[in-house]
Amino acid sequence: MLDLCTFLHDCAVFLLQVCVLYFAKSVELAGVKEEKTVAVPTPISSHDLWKLLLQRHPRLCELQDGVVLAVRQEYVPIGDQVLTLGDGDEVAVVPPLSGG
Amino acid sequence: MSKELSDVFKLSRDWLSVQEVVDSVSSPSCGAISVFIGTTREDEADGRKVVGLEYEAYEPMAQSEFNKLCADIRARWQSVTHICVHHRLGWVKVGETSVVMAISSPHRHDGQQAIQHCISQLKANVPIWKKEVYDTQEVNWKENTECSWSNQKKPPENTLSDGKPK
Repeated sequence: MLDLCTFLHDCAVFLLQVCVLYFAKSVELAGVKEEKTVAVPTPISSHDLWKLLLQRHPRLCELQDGVVLAVRQEYVPIGDQVLTLGDGDEVAVVPPLSGG
Repeated sequence: MSKELSDVFKLSRDWLSVQEVVDSVSSPSCGAISVFIGTTREDEADGRKVVGLEYEAYEPMAQSEFNKLCADIRARWQSVTHICVHHRLGWVKVGETSVVMAISSPHRHDGQQAIQHCISQLKANVPIWKKEVYDTQEVNWKENTECSWSNQKKPPENTLSDGKPK
């Protein structure tokens, strides 16, 4: 455990807990609306964050290219963008919108 | 005397009142109130009919995206005075109103332009979703073509929205 902490610290990667919200079709695919404590490393690319969620709920892959994330209520496309998350941050899975 | 400009966004599980939305933007300085009302259409495809829509929202983010949308509207049309949008959540039967928006302005031009922009940008950016419920009890999550991560493509200009030529 100590070695892991040293390793993570040397890489300047921290493990923290975020709250993940699911909406619309992603609720049906994940089987859940909210997960209050999901462990994620930071920093992390939005693509790796998406992969982490896919590992938890493989059926989310049905959303394929038609999905983005929201981090602290700002849209983040799934790609290379590097996110600096904070403990307790809110992350949401956002399928294509259909308001109005 | 400074004029207070208001932006109001309300998500409601109850039926929407057009009069309430109109009243909330009216002002003695405004000669025009531009209104858009979205209602639930009885769509029919593949032998099944839509009986209603079920709406949900990422509520705090819908509010913050609405705030950004109002700032955008006011930057484009400086004479816009008050903006009010009420949107349904939950079950909305065919024929019922899903969204009411009203924008007041001294003269009609800015308000008319702003209301068109308001509905198209709401469809593009505000985190609200609807699923169609059919008389066969099947459901289908809709996707706005205005949304940049939608899988739905806008049909080419010389075709109707169902793909048939005009």
